[in-house]
Amino acid sequence: MPIDIPKDKWPGSIKKITLGATAAEGGTRAKSITLGGQTTLPYLHFEAPTPNSPAIAIEIKSRKPEDWSPLLAEVWGEAMNDPAKWAKKAEEAGADLIVLALMLADSPDDAVKAVKSVLSASGLPLIVWGPGQAEKDNELLVPVAEAAKGEKLVLGICEDKNYRTIVATAMANGHLIEARTPMDVNLAKQLNILITDMGLPADRILMDPTTGALGYGIEYGYSVMERLRLAALQGDSMTQLPMIVTPGFEAWKAKESKVGEGVPESWGDWKARAVHWETLTAVALVESGADVIVLRHPESVKRVKSAIEELVMA
Amino acid sequence: MYIIGENIHIISEKVKEALAARDREFFMDLAVKQVEAGAKAIDINLGPRKKDWAEVFPWIVETVETVVDVPLSIDTTNVDGMEAALKTIKKAKPILNSTSAEPERLEKVPLLAKKYNAKIIALTMGTSGIPVEADARVNIAVETLIPRLMEIGFNMDDLIIDPLVLTTSGCQQYCPHLIETVRMLQYAWDPAPNISVGLSNVSNAVPNENRPLINRTYLSMLMGVGLKMMIANPFDEKQNDVIRWIETKDTSNPLARVYNKIADRTAASEEPQMEDFDLKDPEQSAIWKTTQILLNKVIYADAYLAN
Repeated sequence: MPIDIPKDKWPGSIKKITLGATAAEGGTRAKSITLGGQTTLPYLHFEAPTPNSPAIAIEIKSRKPEDWSPLLAEVWGEAMNDPAKWAKKAEEAGADLIVLALMLADSPDDAVKAVKSVLSASGLPLIVWGPGQAEKDNELLVPVAEAAKGEKLVLGICEDKNYRTIVATAMANGHLIEARTPMDVNLAKQLNILITDMGLPADRILMDPTTGALGYGIEYGYSVMERLRLAALQGDSMTQLPMIVTPGFEAWKAKESKVGEGVPESWGDWKARAVHWETLTAVALVESGADVIVLRHPESVKRVKSAIEELVMA
Repeated sequence: MYIIGENIHIISEKVKEALAARDREFFMDLAVKQVEAGAKAIDINLGPRKKDWAEVFPWIVETVETVVDVPLSIDTTNVDGMEAALKTIKKAKPILNSTSAEPERLEKVPLLAKKYNAKIIALTMGTSGIPVEADARVNIAVETLIPRLMEIGFNMDDLIIDPLVLTTSGCQQYCPHLIETVRMLQYAWDPAPNISVGLSNVSNAVPNENRPLINRTYLSMLMGVGLKMMIANPFDEKQNDVIRWIETKDTSNPLARVYNKIADRTAASEEPQMEDFDLKDPEQSAIWKTTQILLNKVIYADAYLAN
């Protein structure tokens, strides 16, 4: 018996946004990346193709982080001491873009230097995060935005308590911003309204709905993303933005990835488990509609990439 | 519309201070003003008063009854406090606010209402919380609340079911279901049970400047499905306008037409349509956006009107 598959036709769609600028576009990136453009729920190809594959970002830091898992230190090795080398290695590991996280110990000069060295070592589009304290973020991100004018960086992380300075400098210097809210659809929309009210066009916002790792609240993150995407497709313009999520950061906080000793033997091999944790967290979020996936381990990058390829081809 | 005035509520700083000072004048004034503004009963919510209930409940009842004759709605979770209030009441038949479907409360509070010949507000909430779906809330009323009251021989005219309004800021998915619950409850039993809601809960956690618009827009929908009683702020003049316009089917001005249209659409199980509104008029445009929030069509954000 032939079965007629019912198809949804949504009134809304996700905005297309472009990260990174090539020489022709006023920057120095080898290529730019376009995200978004979806007209239906993720990977329902009988309704519409996936217009732009999710992109994988690898997170690197301006200085060697002391609190990262030894498994990550082992795989990145010496490169962790030099953001330029680290970026190069991340590109070789298959990243579509780089997240450079600045650190509290950085001065504005250090931050600019780190960003410039990454921009010259790798041609990938770049996301730059402040260290995560309002005043320090502003102190570092403003000179970074000015020094990289025209590169179409993504500056983050804007939150409801601290977004004005970052948005203003993104507007002045042709960059995008990452807008993060704590797993709440109402707050996510509110922040997008506040940011566009300042005059930044919506197609320069990446929305970060925050997520949890597998076993640590991922289902809440998943539901929020699903709900935001449904609202967007129903025509709610302030939710029609591509989403960035940080499963690498979340998964490597989890005991299952972080710790190799003092856990039940039945948990099995530490490294295998840790990579599984990051990969599974990431793939679930890809399925819920994430457009940028920020990861830490090159093996997870490989696996998530192949999962994305299968989803997009299927 | 039978309004139970909500303003004697411990959440208000002024009420808190006045209670601490046992300021009789304050409470008498607030009670009289609510009745003058149209309240048909006065809700009294001073919290559970775990330590001083034996003194506070009789005191507030005596104070308020000095100046008004309307029923008092004793709004507390403290059963001893309820009884202390009931013993003191001398004027109109009071309302006990409230019981839920949780076994312990449902055991005690209806017996108290029966003993003192009071009305009772029963919430459609069981031990596992408030269900989202309308069906599930109606089931709590029909399968738990009503049978318990029948079991004790309670006069069903004195039962008021409160299907629980939740806020659009964070519990938005509940808002359209509550409308359906109010509609369905009227067919769930014969005779149709009395229904009351706490209207302003729909705008809890919403910035103050946006609350009245959300309240009165939701009210127009609820009146469309037959709501005739609510705990609300009787001083809200624009809300009182909406009540009057809908009750008298007054369509003599554009806003009256819009609110009546929302009520009519909701009554007919339809959704308000964009063409019902003159979107060039900022006030009508704001009402249209608010309907979309309340029907869970558009995600709520504090700045939703700016969007």
